[in-house]
Amino acid sequence: MTKTAWAWVWFGLLLALDIAIPWYVLTNVEKMSGAFLFWTIWVLAAIISAFIIFLRWREVKP
Amino acid sequence: MSVTFWVWFGIGIYIAVGLGIALMARRQLGAGVSEFFLANRRIGGFVSAGAYSATTYSAFMMVGLAGLTYLSGVGALGFELTYLCGMFMMVFFLPRYWLVGKKYGYITPMELLSDRYQSKWVGATAAILALVFLIPYSAVQLMGVGYLVNGVSQGAIPVVAGIIIAVFCTIAWSNIAGMRSDAWTDTFQALIMIVVSAIALGVVVTALGGFGSFFSKLEEASPGLLTVPTDKGAFSINMFIGLALPWLFFLISNPQVSQRLFIPKSVTAMKQMLGGFLVFGFIYTMISVLWGFSATLLVPGLEKADLATPTLLSLPIIPMGVAIIVMVGITAAAITTIDSVVLTLASVWARDIHKGLINPKVSEKRELRIGKWVIPIVTIIAFLFAWWATGKTGLPFMIASLSAAASAGLLMAVPTIFGAFFWKRGTAFGAIVSMIVGAIIVLIFQVTGWKPLGWWPGVWGFVVCVPLFVIVSLATKPPRDKAEEFLGYLKGALKKGRFI
Repeated sequence: MTKTAWAWVWFGLLLALDIAIPWYVLTNVEKMSGAFLFWTIWVLAAIISAFIIFLRWREVKP
Repeated sequence: MSVTFWVWFGIGIYIAVGLGIALMARRQLGAGVSEFFLANRRIGGFVSAGAYSATTYSAFMMVGLAGLTYLSGVGALGFELTYLCGMFMMVFFLPRYWLVGKKYGYITPMELLSDRYQSKWVGATAAILALVFLIPYSAVQLMGVGYLVNGVSQGAIPVVAGIIIAVFCTIAWSNIAGMRSDAWTDTFQALIMIVVSAIALGVVVTALGGFGSFFSKLEEASPGLLTVPTDKGAFSINMFIGLALPWLFFLISNPQVSQRLFIPKSVTAMKQMLGGFLVFGFIYTMISVLWGFSATLLVPGLEKADLATPTLLSLPIIPMGVAIIVMVGITAAAITTIDSVVLTLASVWARDIHKGLINPKVSEKRELRIGKWVIPIVTIIAFLFAWWATGKTGLPFMIASLSAAASAGLLMAVPTIFGAFFWKRGTAFGAIVSMIVGAIIVLIFQVTGWKPLGWWPGVWGFVVCVPLFVIVSLATKPPRDKAEEFLGYLKGALKKGRFI
């Protein structure tokens, strides 16, 4: 698979977790350590992975 | 001195500084459409990040999202962070928009679609979609300012007065130097937004005994708000997807933000823009949601959740000076969004409707003049919508719901946009049919309030418009030469810059 395809798969996985964990795993956890903490860590994973990809970009003249 | 005096004083200072910055930006204003609407694609990384952040984050955050958190709990955090996760797609779209924008000289995202699909009607359809659905979105910004000024002044300043202030600033900021004044004032205001909201949250959390005590109190007082769905049934999966799906694709569906992908002056500026925005967005989202949670503890039982922030700011635990600067910060957030929206709509009207359909031979000077005339017209239409909606109550008239409803309509352009960059076989006919049918479905469901099987209008529109785009495209003839040339150029350029 190409890097682009891997990036799309990773993004799809993040979206699947976005629903699966809060609604099916943490639905009875009525604490800040439940869905609140999950979404915070989850989005940090998305942000860090975006940084890893775009920090490799280099200057081009269109 | 009365609270009302200090509210007017704060607004006066804000307007004076904003006007000063806009006038400074005007000194660098050159001639032409590209200069006015895109600052000649020469904006640096810091200002690009500030402009993008301020355009994206609006009164929706500290008023609308805080209100949604107050009413519906932690699902509001998931909803807004789903948007931020969607920004991961910038690693695909940002370099693509930027590269083709520079190469082909596109002024609007709709012009890109018209060229790629070789049909003016594709751009015009997307333009009409934007003109229809961005009006409610602009209106909610005005409503946010109105509620806030009214709340902080403890009712002394009517909601409509706050709305009129926002209308004035919007027209002034956008007209003085176009994108250049928008970008500069946006960056100044982005700094205000994040600093003052952090100060306000700090004051409230301190009053609640620190973060540990705040979280314990929240778990004790409103445990049902910390799960999805909540104990009162809010944030079912249907509601979450209904709100989050349009938000997920906001970065490409909303032209006022996708147009900003044309403006960074270099790849370095692009990287700074994206990195700066992601950090800003994470911090501002956490502040807004925690602010909404603090309101559930400090001002429980409000009839209208959008009033959570204004009510919280009028409490004695918030020093008046802090309340005033927070009000200015949220006002800034609202105005930076609406001025960007009207500037984009002005360019879209001038380029994609007037030049694209009505008068292709229009001179650049006249095109610019027409665009400038559209700025006050769109703002006044948004004002009328806001005036009407402020009298209404209930979930559909909340700032968060109106914002998501606007993006639901714009979502119908997403298959067309994906097709432009990733599918050679996409056609103009497929694009036009999918956008029109999808938008009609969204409009009908939104107006009637109909949610078949419990799914929201944007979801139904999307479910219909994606296969429609594919099927109609496969049944019609694509612009092969243009697709080869456009995607062929991108393939080479993406490789050179190590983009994916």
